[in-house]
Amino acid sequence: MPTVLEVSHLLKHYGDFTAVNDLSFSVHSGEIFGLLGPNGAGKTTTIRILMDIFKSDGGEVSVLGQQPAAVRERVGYLPEERGLYRDLRVTEALVYLAQLKGVDETIARRNAGAWLERVELQDWGRHKVKDLSRGMQQKVQFVASLVHNPKLLILDEPFQGLDPVTVELIKKLIRELQAVGTTIVLSAHQMNLVEELCDRIVLIHRGRVVLYGLLADIKREFAPHAVRVKSGGDLAGIPGVVGMKATGEATLLELDGTTPQALLAELVRRGVDVESFEVASVPLNDIFVQVVQGGTSS
Amino acid sequence: MNKVWIIAWHEYRVNIRRPGFIIMTLLIPLLGLIALLVGVFFGGQAGEAMTNIFAGGNRPVAVVDESGRFTPLLPAYTGSFHLYASQAEGTAAVQSGTARRLIVIPADYLETGRIQVVTNEGSFSALDIEDSNSLRGFFVDHLARDLPDAALRARLADPFRAQVVNLAGEEQSAGGAMASVLGFVVPYMLSILLIVTIFVSSGYLLRSVSEEKTSRVIEIVLSSVTAQQLLAGKVIGLGALGLTQVLVWIGSALGLSGGIVGLLGVAVPLFARPEVFVLAVVYYLLGFIVYAVMMGAVGALGADFHESQQLAGVFSLLASVPLMLAGVFFTSPNSTLIRVISWFPLTAPTAMMLRLPMSEVPVIDIVGSIATILVTIPLIVWLGAKVFRLGLLMYGKRPKVMEIFRLLREA
Repeated sequence: MPTVLEVSHLLKHYGDFTAVNDLSFSVHSGEIFGLLGPNGAGKTTTIRILMDIFKSDGGEVSVLGQQPAAVRERVGYLPEERGLYRDLRVTEALVYLAQLKGVDETIARRNAGAWLERVELQDWGRHKVKDLSRGMQQKVQFVASLVHNPKLLILDEPFQGLDPVTVELIKKLIRELQAVGTTIVLSAHQMNLVEELCDRIVLIHRGRVVLYGLLADIKREFAPHAVRVKSGGDLAGIPGVVGMKATGEATLLELDGTTPQALLAELVRRGVDVESFEVASVPLNDIFVQVVQGGTSS
Repeated sequence: MNKVWIIAWHEYRVNIRRPGFIIMTLLIPLLGLIALLVGVFFGGQAGEAMTNIFAGGNRPVAVVDESGRFTPLLPAYTGSFHLYASQAEGTAAVQSGTARRLIVIPADYLETGRIQVVTNEGSFSALDIEDSNSLRGFFVDHLARDLPDAALRARLADPFRAQVVNLAGEEQSAGGAMASVLGFVVPYMLSILLIVTIFVSSGYLLRSVSEEKTSRVIEIVLSSVTAQQLLAGKVIGLGALGLTQVLVWIGSALGLSGGIVGLLGVAVPLFARPEVFVLAVVYYLLGFIVYAVMMGAVGALGADFHESQQLAGVFSLLASVPLMLAGVFFTSPNSTLIRVISWFPLTAPTAMMLRLPMSEVPVIDIVGSIATILVTIPLIVWLGAKVFRLGLLMYGKRPKVMEIFRLLREA
């Protein structure tokens, strides 16, 4: 799969503080890539370097095969600290921002109209931004990042402060963008949404990569060797089960020297009434906390 | 369209619609219009009063000639002066309004030079008698009526017309005192106007940058254009806005003051010394770039507009130093102090704009000051863009001076 974004040994200092320390990762074409990390991990600094707002102190960055400055017009960016021109009309603001991305005014106006319709704000184009509710403004900010039809879209905390309905709308739009070939870098603190949307992730902590790869592989790596069984029968004394813990209506069985398949066969052989049986996995949120608090690196 | 021009046009279009700009732009012509209306309304009464005080209308001056030197009146004065046989008759003429005032010339006038003025218009009106050219002419013509040379009589009445020659250079003016005064007043006022434009436009820039920062739209913009492009676009767009405002003011002033008369009043002195006008425009453009870029950078440093304004005050003060020294510019435009601030790049534009109309500025000072400004501009643009880029992304806090230097090193 072709690489859209390549970060290699990136370095950035603020005085004595190292914000980004030997950071390397790549983003493939057409994927939704999670750029994760706790507050102050260096995510926003990295993104600002990718957008050529900041200069790095070392390392290499390639965006769409070129230097970041050369591809500004093909990249969309929704910053974490965001706002709009409050005294401008919605369409006027969108057209201006699209023009700054090199889009002709007529096309920009058409794009703005189409996108406002997609976010259900088609009747608000002639209103001033300050007349919109906060939720509406956030939708317009989202539209502002992609009104020029970018090949690569970088979203820094796009779900921050959104109500559940708008979150669903933005998720839907992100998937639609991916479906038409747009590559998306998503930085978010809502791990459940990252799990839903991202194919691969990089987790950075104190400017360094601590987790990087396919989300499924990472979850598998962190998964406990255990199964979650919901049963009214007796689960004690089964060979290979070294620990039992009640988790709500189900029981978590820790395994040693056996496999989930062998355990399930044993339960059937013993005639235990099994309502549900699943291989235990760990939520990304738990992995995040574990890695950040434990300082694990890979 | 180039992105700089897109930004410039956007800034111009957005800001020209602002109520603050519209009010400020229309306020000056409105005040002028009010003054004009007040003038028209009270003009009749005031005009009559002024005519009575200074001109006395068309009424003649009563004269009682006890010296015999003024009798009979020369034909040239029979319309504006009227002889009376006694002081009582003359006084009665003044009281009845037939005569404007009475001049009693006593018998010993030739020895003492004393005359008596009888008036009912208050003491103020008597003051102009001393300087009244017509009265002086009346006296000289009658006293020297035996002199055959009319030119000599005219010189006795008006002994000299001064033509000032400056030892440092060429003559100041060949058109008399008024032309001399206009020759530096008009360019001087124009310089003040241009300086005001610089400050007004820089103020708009400060506000624009500050608003983009506080509204958090700046990072989206900086992902599309460089800080230099953004700063350049703002400088051009808001510079044009300031110029528009001044043009409206000048246009309305010309319209209210009788158009072509006002235009000639400004144009004639300017074309008398066109090099002053050309250089003033050059310094205006250079000055605008210097101050606008500084204001842009300062606007980016403040957490909000008010904080940015406080920071900008320091630079405004620096640029205003020449204005504070206006007295020195009038008395010693080529003094060492003035020459020093003419060479210092942050004060040079305003200093030279004030200095040029005042005297013949040495060529070395003109070349030197333009050179230092030209050398400084790239430095200011480079530093300004750095501060601008860093300051814009520092939300909610103002960096300390040492922090600014550190950021400049790291940017």
